[in-house]
Amino acid sequence: MASFLRTLIPLDIYGGMKLTGKYFGKVLREANRARIRTHVVCEYPEVPVKLQPRFRGRLTLLKDEQGEIKCICCLACEKICPTQVITIEKGKKEGRKLPYPVRYDFEMERCIFCEFCVESCGFDSIILNHQFELAAYNREDFSIGMEGRFQNMFELSPVARYSVAEEAQR
Amino acid sequence: MTAMTLTQSFVTALLQIVVLALFVFVAVPVIVFAERKVIGYVQLRLGYTRIAGGLHGVTGGLNRLMWWMGKLPFFSILRGFPSFIADGIKLFTKEDIVPEKADWWVFHFAPAISVVAAFTVLGIVSFSPAPLWTWPAAVPIVGGLPFAGVISDVNVGLLMLVGVASVGVYGIVLGGWASNSKYPLLGGLRSAAQIVSYEVPLTFSLLVPVVLSGTLNFTQMSQYLSGAPIQTSAGPAQMPALAILPLFIGFFIYLTCGFAETNRVPFDLPEAETELVAGFHTEYTGMKFGLFYLAEYANMIIVAAVAAAFFLGGHHFLPFGLQRFIPPSVPVVGGASFGWFLLWMALILFSYLWVRATLPRYRYDQLMHVGWKWLIPLSLANLCLAALVRYFA
Repeated sequence: MASFLRTLIPLDIYGGMKLTGKYFGKVLREANRARIRTHVVCEYPEVPVKLQPRFRGRLTLLKDEQGEIKCICCLACEKICPTQVITIEKGKKEGRKLPYPVRYDFEMERCIFCEFCVESCGFDSIILNHQFELAAYNREDFSIGMEGRFQNMFELSPVARYSVAEEAQR
Repeated sequence: MTAMTLTQSFVTALLQIVVLALFVFVAVPVIVFAERKVIGYVQLRLGYTRIAGGLHGVTGGLNRLMWWMGKLPFFSILRGFPSFIADGIKLFTKEDIVPEKADWWVFHFAPAISVVAAFTVLGIVSFSPAPLWTWPAAVPIVGGLPFAGVISDVNVGLLMLVGVASVGVYGIVLGGWASNSKYPLLGGLRSAAQIVSYEVPLTFSLLVPVVLSGTLNFTQMSQYLSGAPIQTSAGPAQMPALAILPLFIGFFIYLTCGFAETNRVPFDLPEAETELVAGFHTEYTGMKFGLFYLAEYANMIIVAAVAAAFFLGGHHFLPFGLQRFIPPSVPVVGGASFGWFLLWMALILFSYLWVRATLPRYRYDQLMHVGWKWLIPLSLANLCLAALVRYFA
């Protein structure tokens, strides 16, 4: 009898409709206001994406307050890298006591974005930044390094430079 | 009013048909737009806000327009609507492919059958109780004549509606068969079985207001639901208070069967993508597919119109005969008007989209189970209830 009544009076359908109706009303009211947002959509090419703080993007060397590269070439990242995409060449620089990386190459095409390099670094001198537009038209564009290489790791990735964002703002 | 000449009545009807067709051609893109938006909002998305293409040319212009609309307070909700232009261009300009082994004649006639059945039915729906406007005397042939809200107010309106609307299934079955491909055939057969099964409870639930009032006419039914006494061929009738019960149950049975009749979620078995590619219109391209699409949405409009006219008070504000508690002298909500009918239609159409966003598709055996073992006994019991109410009250 109970199951008969449950089939006859579709309370579960009513519950589902109530839930979806609630969300519809909420999003309809708040869909287009900047501050209160119920919806989970990011209008990506036109509006920049807000990423999670622990997002693992492209590898970047960090600089200190004087604009000096923090890396001291301990080669910890090069050793721990599972796919061996980091190549560091140790060198000297005028007016700097610690070793200076003459070359810091990063072959992104083989990188698995595991963040072992960042974890192994004892001097907090590298991070995986929040760039995710990493596609490129040429293979050379995936070999990233400091100044002088095909792609500079201190600049935006090539695709990000062609992002629709500015054009749509007009 | 003097009697119309033959030419005058002919031209009046023709103008009404043109206006009605325009109404459908405007309403269908609006429903398609609303469908995408409602489903988006329900799933915490924004719905569509752009179309494929770049920032150049026609698509680029539309994309820029929609981006600009997003910054305005009210128009940001309507963002995405301009893309119906792109949809139209695409439907009209796409290559029209006819499969080599398809039955040429049937293949071309099937979409037409669907559309013609859908549009014919709309001709007897009474959209407005009073004439919408009167032509000014300067207009050549029809000057001074009223423009009625119904093309032909047939006194067996419901009978004709149920009869003609079920012809629409031929379009689907023949289209599926003529494609000469297994998925459309299976989709068409499923559709035939489903529509034939659900036609029974649909008609039974529509019989409830008919039994109560004794009329099949749209205008009279609207008067009956407002609580006014009507004079029918079955004798005078006025709505008793208890009549709300069978009407209320009948409305939900009718709505369920209406979803099944128009092949909408949760009963869209003929188009189950996971099993049948796209169902009966798998092999259809271009505007022939567009006609099937148009027929589906026109059928939705018909179901909404019939639900509004026969259960939800027709041209009145309150549904299920509750209108009697508002005296007709109250300015807006007391009277009968075109606007209330459109409002009720819009609410039913919204419920279509709401249900689509909420409920998952039934399995085929579940569909038949619900139709034969639940809805038909339920609608029969409801019909008996209505008969009892009519007899004793």
